[in-house]
Amino acid sequence: MAATGKVLVILGLCLLPILTSADTCLAPQIKSQTYSTPEAIVSTETVLIAEFTLTCKNSLKNINLYADVGGRLIPATKTSEVNKYQISITDDHKKLPAGRYDIRVFDEEGFALLRKAQRSGESTDSIKPLFVLNLNHSGIWNGPIVQTEFVAALAAILIWWLAYTARSKLLA
Amino acid sequence: MKKKKNPSTDIADDSQGIRWLRFGYVRPMKLWLAALLLTFGCFLPSFGEEETEARLLASKNVLNQYLVEGKDLTVEYKIYNVGSKVAFNVLLNDNSFPDSSFSIISGNLKVEWERIAPSSNVTHAVILKPLKSGYFNFTSAEISYLTAEDSRERILGYTSFPGEGGIVPQREFDRRFSPHVLDWFVFAFMTLPSLGIPFLLWYSSKSKYDQSKTKKN
Repeated sequence: MAATGKVLVILGLCLLPILTSADTCLAPQIKSQTYSTPEAIVSTETVLIAEFTLTCKNSLKNINLYADVGGRLIPATKTSEVNKYQISITDDHKKLPAGRYDIRVFDEEGFALLRKAQRSGESTDSIKPLFVLNLNHSGIWNGPIVQTEFVAALAAILIWWLAYTARSKLLA
Repeated sequence: MKKKKNPSTDIADDSQGIRWLRFGYVRPMKLWLAALLLTFGCFLPSFGEEETEARLLASKNVLNQYLVEGKDLTVEYKIYNVGSKVAFNVLLNDNSFPDSSFSIISGNLKVEWERIAPSSNVTHAVILKPLKSGYFNFTSAEISYLTAEDSRERILGYTSFPGEGGIVPQREFDRRFSPHVLDWFVFAFMTLPSLGIPFLLWYSSKSKYDQSKTKKN
C-alpha cells in the first residue's frame, strides 16, 4: 500500500512540470509581417503594425499575449484566424522616429511579472519574453526637401550668370 | 482635390458634434440633448447610482492627409472603456470596406480582445489600398462585448464614422505632387539647341583667337 503511494507521488512529481507548463507556449515559432507608415501623405500619425502567427510545440491555441514596445504595454489583438495576432502602435511622427523597434511579446505569466516590475520601478529587461519581434521603421518621407522647380531655376540663373560674365569679359 | 480633415481636429471640432456614439443608442444624439443628459448625469451620483458596468466607446478615424487610389489608406480604431468594470471578449468587426474597392495591405478587419480594463484603451490599425477613385462613404464598424465573463448577452455598438471622403485618382495626384524630374529633363534637352549652338560658335572662335594669340607670343 505504501509502495503504491510512493509511486503515485513520484509520478505526480514527474508530471508536475508538464502540468504547470500547460499554459506556457513551448518552443514558440513565429511567422511575422510588419508594416510602418512610409510617408506623411498616407497618415498624420506614424503607424507601426506587426502581425504574427504563433505555433507552439504543445499546440496551444489562442492564448493571451501582451507586447512591450519601449515601455508601452499593449495587449496583442487576436484576429479571426487561429493563433494569428496583431500589434498596432500609433503615435505622433516625432515620438516614433526611424529605427529598429524590438517588440517583446509576453504571455499572461510574463506580463504579470512585467507589471509587477514596472510598479515597483525595477528594470524590466531581466524578464525574459516569450519571443522578440523586430520592426524596422525606415522613417517618414515628407516629400522632396528641394522642389524641382527651384533646382531648375537655379540652373537657369547659373547658366545666365556664366554667359553674362563671359560677355562682359569680351566687352571689357 | 478633396483634402481629408485632420482627425485630431476632428475630435476637437465641437461645432459638428463629436462623432462619438454611446452604445445602446441607435442614432447619434443631438448636441443639445447630449448636453442636457450630461448635465443631468452630473447629478446622478448624488442619487447613489454609479456606473457599475463596462462601457465602451469606440472611434474610427482615417488618418490620411490625402486619399489616393493605389496608395495606403490608414484606418485607426480606438476603444475606450469608460465604465468601472472590465469588458470581456471585445469583438471589432468592420464590414464597411468592400473587396471590390479595397484590398488589405496590413492588419485585420475582424479582431478580438480578451479583456479591456476599466479606464484604459486599446488601439487598432488597418492599412488598406483603395482600388477605385471617387467618393466613398466611410461608415462605422461594429463592436460587441460582454459585461461579465459568463454573461451570455452581448452588448452591441458601433464606432464613430469618418464620413465621406474623396479618393483622388493616382494620375491626378501625380500631376500635382510628383517631382516631374523627367519633364524637367525634357525641358532642358529642348532648350539645349538654343543655348548650345551659340555657345559652340563662340567657343570655337574663342579657341581660334586664343591659339593665334599664343602663336604670336
